[in-house]
Amino acid sequence: MWPIALKTLIADRGKLLTALVGVVFSIVLVNVQGGLFLGFITKAGLLVDHGKADIWIGHKEMHNVDFPRDIPRRWLNRVRGVDGVECAQPYLIGWSDMTLPSGGFESVVVVGVDRGSLLGNVWNMKKGRADSILKTDGIIVDECELAKLEFPEMNEVRELGGRRARVVGMSHGVMGFLVAPYVFTTFDRAAEYLRKAPEVCSYILVQLHDGADVREVCRAIRQRMPEAEVQPSNVFSAISTDFWMMRTGLGISFGAATLLGLLVGLVMVAETMYAMVLDRLGEYGTLKAIGATEKQIFSILLIQALMMATAGAICGLAAVSLVQYAFSTPRAPIIIPYWLSLGGCLLVLCICLVSSLLPYLRIRKVDPHTVLQS
Amino acid sequence: MIDYCMQNDGAAVVIEGLEKSYGTAAGSTPVLKGVDFLVRRGECVYLAGPSGSGKTTLLSIIGCILSADHGRVSILGQDVFALSGKQRTALRRNSLGFVFQRFHLIRGLTTLDNVCVPLTLQGICPTSARRRAMSLLDAVGLADKADKHPCNLSAGQCQRVALARALVGDPELILADEPTASLDAANGQDVMELFRRLTTEEGKTVVLVTHDQRIFRFADRVFWLENGCAVENSREAQSKSQGSGETGSEQPLYAVSCDKSNGE
Repeated sequence: MWPIALKTLIADRGKLLTALVGVVFSIVLVNVQGGLFLGFITKAGLLVDHGKADIWIGHKEMHNVDFPRDIPRRWLNRVRGVDGVECAQPYLIGWSDMTLPSGGFESVVVVGVDRGSLLGNVWNMKKGRADSILKTDGIIVDECELAKLEFPEMNEVRELGGRRARVVGMSHGVMGFLVAPYVFTTFDRAAEYLRKAPEVCSYILVQLHDGADVREVCRAIRQRMPEAEVQPSNVFSAISTDFWMMRTGLGISFGAATLLGLLVGLVMVAETMYAMVLDRLGEYGTLKAIGATEKQIFSILLIQALMMATAGAICGLAAVSLVQYAFSTPRAPIIIPYWLSLGGCLLVLCICLVSSLLPYLRIRKVDPHTVLQS
Repeated sequence: MIDYCMQNDGAAVVIEGLEKSYGTAAGSTPVLKGVDFLVRRGECVYLAGPSGSGKTTLLSIIGCILSADHGRVSILGQDVFALSGKQRTALRRNSLGFVFQRFHLIRGLTTLDNVCVPLTLQGICPTSARRRAMSLLDAVGLADKADKHPCNLSAGQCQRVALARALVGDPELILADEPTASLDAANGQDVMELFRRLTTEEGKTVVLVTHDQRIFRFADRVFWLENGCAVENSREAQSKSQGSGETGSEQPLYAVSCDKSNGE
């Protein structure tokens, strides 16, 4: 049936093009919407994902890495005594204001890391080095957030939380879910910018010995410190993501837009296939008259749907690559993993196959006797 | 009345007491009223008669694409009433060849692909199918048009492609509905000569519906229908036409049949 299906499909180029537009539209929408969604939710657990810690310890019921509650720093010693723990370091996250040259100010999220291990420090440096925060008054900002900070230069001095801060490095694309830029510095200096008492911190970051079981160590820490929340990194990252998903309706809005796109694609493909079939009802009647079985007729439609899905998916994925290349930025990253593309293609394939059912139902009613009557 | 018990052996089509009605808003309209019809293998039989006489309905029933209400229908030795829908489809696919009045070629396919369609439906591999289709196109004089689409062919050429399509599966019985209706006299004559050769040289059985009395001389027998009833079953149609040395259009068979009928 392949030759008949393929050649009759290609013969009607106008309708084929319309159907392909529908398929490409669906593919692009699923991938770009999905990619934007993944890009956003990835930002929700950014510090956790790049923090290089195996376990995060924080206040009971901690639900988002960017909104911590203070915990006693003295817990460090109790954690360090647990079997399997290689190192445990304090981590500080809090909100402060950076004074701008224009006289205004910008809220920033100050991240303080242990100066010895630099655990949880900034990554993806564009200018300077990550360990430059050890320099006097050193802070690192992200070059994508420079406009908000009124374009500080390297080694420019700013006021942060009423204290002196000097830009000693710039990262690229280290942007969280919040609108406030991240500013990385040492733990002690962050405590000053945030006016925190030295005996508190936001989290304790734990690295394990090679071969240590994360779940076992977590269980041991929980036993020793029942008042703390102890989570493996991947779990805490998921908790942070869920926080935004559940409290902002982000998933629903992206999901609704994607569903709408799929529906539009479904309608376009179904309508086009139906129009193609209506245009060729006589030909299907002829095929029936000369001995085509219902299965063969249906297989023609299925093959055509499959070919439309395949051609549309190829064109769609090419368009997705272009969109990703042109529009993906650190602020709105479009992250399209292979499973998203594959899933999108399978979804569109299903849509095309479902779309072929409607015209088939119409063809079923075609009486081959009408071919002789016409 | 035909003695079916005597003549069924070797018959391609046996129809006995066939009745068919179409339901309309006004009620049931009978189209065929107890028709008896027999075609032996290798015969070329024409179904003729005025519009609405039931010719196409009878052809559809012979082609297993329409069911009769009453009667007995045997096609190539198979009782059609006893066949399931799938079996009737298989019978059409494997043993019958159709030629339609308006050709009904598939627009998106080339001439060669159109001829290949029945073989594709039979599941024959594309290479063999194309080889066989090409030889059929050669036989109907259209080998040089193999890559053309139907829209680029004349009506006569399209009908010859349709004929090649009907023959490509090597059917025992060929059913044609007004094959010359869309053709001019010359093309009509060419097509009818092809049909004639099929019966005389290939031994095919042909049942052909036509209004065109000019082509009656190509038939072994003309079966005349009027108001759903058989009026005439003339075996001498061709010989009369040919014997007179005149074309069918100059001496309509209908007149011959009526005379003969009256004589009987």
